[in-house]
Amino acid sequence: MDWFAHPENTKPLGLLIFFVTFCAIVLWVYGSKKRSEKLEEHKNIPFLDDEDEVKDKSNG
Amino acid sequence: MSATSVAATEQYDYDIIKKFSVMAIVWAVVGMSAGVYIASELAWPFLNFDSPYLSFGRFRPVHTGAVIFGFGGSALFATSYYVVQRTCQTRLFAPGLATFTFWGWQAVIVLAALSYVSGFSQGREYAEMEWPIDLLILFVWVAYGAVFIGTLMQRKQPHIYVANWFYLSFILVTALLHTFNNIAVPVSLFSLKSYSLFSGAQDAMTQWWYGHNAVGFFLTAAFLGMMYYFVPKHAGRPIYSYRLSIVHFWALSFMYMWVGTHHLHWTALPDWASTLGATFSIMLLLPSWGGMINGIMTLSGAWDKLRTDPIMRFMIVALSFYGMSTFEGPLMSLKDVNALSHYTDWTVGHVHSGALGWVAMIAFGSLYHMIPKLWNTQIFSVRLINAHFWLATIGTLLYITAMWISGISQGLMWRAFDDFGNLQYSFVESVAAMHPFYAMRAIGGMFFLTGMLLMAYNVFATIRQGVRDAASAQARSAVATA
Amino acid sequence: MFKNFKHEKIETNAGLLLVLTMMAVSIGGLVEIAPLFFLKDTTENIAGVRPYTPLEQRGRDLYIREGCYTCHSQMIRPFRDEQLRYGHYSLAAESKYDHPFQWGSKRTGPDLARVGGKYSNEWHVQHLIKPKSVVPESVMPNYQWLQETKLDVSDVGDRMRALRMTGVPYSANDAEYQRNVNQFGEAVAKTLHIPDALKNLVSQAQEGNFDGDRSSVSEMDAMVAYLQVLGTMVDFSKIKPEDLVKFR
Repeated sequence: MDWFAHPENTKPLGLLIFFVTFCAIVLWVYGSKKRSEKLEEHKNIPFLDDEDEVKDKSNG
Repeated sequence: MSATSVAATEQYDYDIIKKFSVMAIVWAVVGMSAGVYIASELAWPFLNFDSPYLSFGRFRPVHTGAVIFGFGGSALFATSYYVVQRTCQTRLFAPGLATFTFWGWQAVIVLAALSYVSGFSQGREYAEMEWPIDLLILFVWVAYGAVFIGTLMQRKQPHIYVANWFYLSFILVTALLHTFNNIAVPVSLFSLKSYSLFSGAQDAMTQWWYGHNAVGFFLTAAFLGMMYYFVPKHAGRPIYSYRLSIVHFWALSFMYMWVGTHHLHWTALPDWASTLGATFSIMLLLPSWGGMINGIMTLSGAWDKLRTDPIMRFMIVALSFYGMSTFEGPLMSLKDVNALSHYTDWTVGHVHSGALGWVAMIAFGSLYHMIPKLWNTQIFSVRLINAHFWLATIGTLLYITAMWISGISQGLMWRAFDDFGNLQYSFVESVAAMHPFYAMRAIGGMFFLTGMLLMAYNVFATIRQGVRDAASAQARSAVATA
Repeated sequence: MFKNFKHEKIETNAGLLLVLTMMAVSIGGLVEIAPLFFLKDTTENIAGVRPYTPLEQRGRDLYIREGCYTCHSQMIRPFRDEQLRYGHYSLAAESKYDHPFQWGSKRTGPDLARVGGKYSNEWHVQHLIKPKSVVPESVMPNYQWLQETKLDVSDVGDRMRALRMTGVPYSANDAEYQRNVNQFGEAVAKTLHIPDALKNLVSQAQEGNFDGDRSSVSEMDAMVAYLQVLGTMVDFSKIKPEDLVKFR
């Protein structure tokens, strides 16, 4: 625990954890074309919620 | 028509959402009125009326509590219950528990306000509630978590939509922050008074870890959840980039928790802690702007909606204010800027550019979209929404401009030296110089409140119209079956 | 499906999403807060810093009750202008017995970290009753009810016992009293003894005569007693500058 009390340790550690995680996430998200397509499909979920969506439009 | 209305009310659990939406409006009116009142007290101190119950110090947490937890909280409960059901295509898990969250939460807001004016406060900003109220919050929050996660678990859609991630992280983090920031020893079992377990620098650290993350998760992440559902839904087009939203979520969740210490620059807190906070504050600009761009670009190809649809305008202007305050925030976390801005009205202005510009406006947009759907009707008046939009925008701009000028003047006056190396101004000279800006701020607040009153009327008329439609539809179908 | 790890697992598993989010949000707080409990300079003893007497502590309770922290800070930063205006910059150790801390975040009024001893009791009383009568441009509310209300002393012992549980060295028995004598000296140790709390409170109010009325103990007595002790515990003339670096 004492090791954490020193900023000269925690600063690079924080940066390292952050940077590696960030790179991993970005690589993962944008890395493969197939995955990209799959992920982007999910953006349509908000439009799947109303069974009566089409009918609603006719009202207004 | 009647068939669809029955189907719509049966498909999802709307009753609880209706209750929370109405209370969001009520608390917005109450909280913003309290805000205008305390702002006026600073401009015209006779308004304190020598009354302990109305004095600024006791009344200020009534304002912050009613707008953050009353208005913001109720809007979040309402929209999260709405979004989680519709994106999971399932009904609410444990509706009884959800009803408890409603009554429990309303009790919290009322009890908190009453306790503040009668002089019970923990003396911690945005966490002034004394221990019995804190316990009630904890119960309500556990129930909320159970309802939300339970609903996620019984979803019919395999993927959990990103808006729900933001809501989930908000629920988790709020539980964490609330618990650790409110550890206190009561004076006795029958006394409302308690003393915080931590003291001095530890206590300061804990409080601002809470304070900033309450902004980060209660007022940002959760409202981003709102944004990720209502902006695409209202625009009728999917979010600009789903992948960007994933990166946005993880970066924001990870980084926000580091930045609270920038509230304690130059204090007796160890230097490294606040520097670390500042570093992360700067980095936070990236995911924040990523999210803003993602929201705004959702409209690309349909910009004309901004001209024709005031609800859409609310949402996009909210995102713009989000972008502006998430730029201003990191700027103010720089130690040299902070040396000037800290303790001044600039901080108050910054908070309100986020709170009025971002939080309130995205909530207004979402509520305007959601409320007609809940009561299966149309909005009563689009022109009133338009008027509300302009009042809110002008009010916000007046408010933050006043606070920029007064904040920077305060900072400069406090540190000004004359030719002989003495302080140029006494403190009270800076107080006197702020009067016009305090008046301007109060007027900005009045604009914003007037807009809010229009909204309250518009929503009331919409609901009345919805209830009438439903009643006549029911009467017609009764006649038809007879 | 199992060929490689998929984020889909997270997206489609509420439990996993929960755990990972929890991890992501915990790291920041842990790294920043945990060390403070192990660092010496946030809890360091400095000569002179002592827990509040019962009367001062009751005054502090009133300070919190009235929400003074919404307009006044108690944290002087190490700048030349603040040094000239308010005095020596604040040390962490000076608020080590503050449950909760009252550093504040806004100076609608001036910082109060070292207001103690700057003004007379009479000035404070007059200022609290009607601030404009001594500072015409002031926007501070009148606090005349402090003068009109008798101080509630019924639970002063309970309050000190609660603070003792949080770690403030108020003494509940002889052994603890002796420890306080060793640490703070006999005069201070006496004021920290819980069984004598009420007696100490009344005698301090009468000797100090903060509100100009010796016949009873008003809330004004407690409030002024608290304001007058703020920032006065440490004698900076006795601390070497090189030691200060240690205490920052």
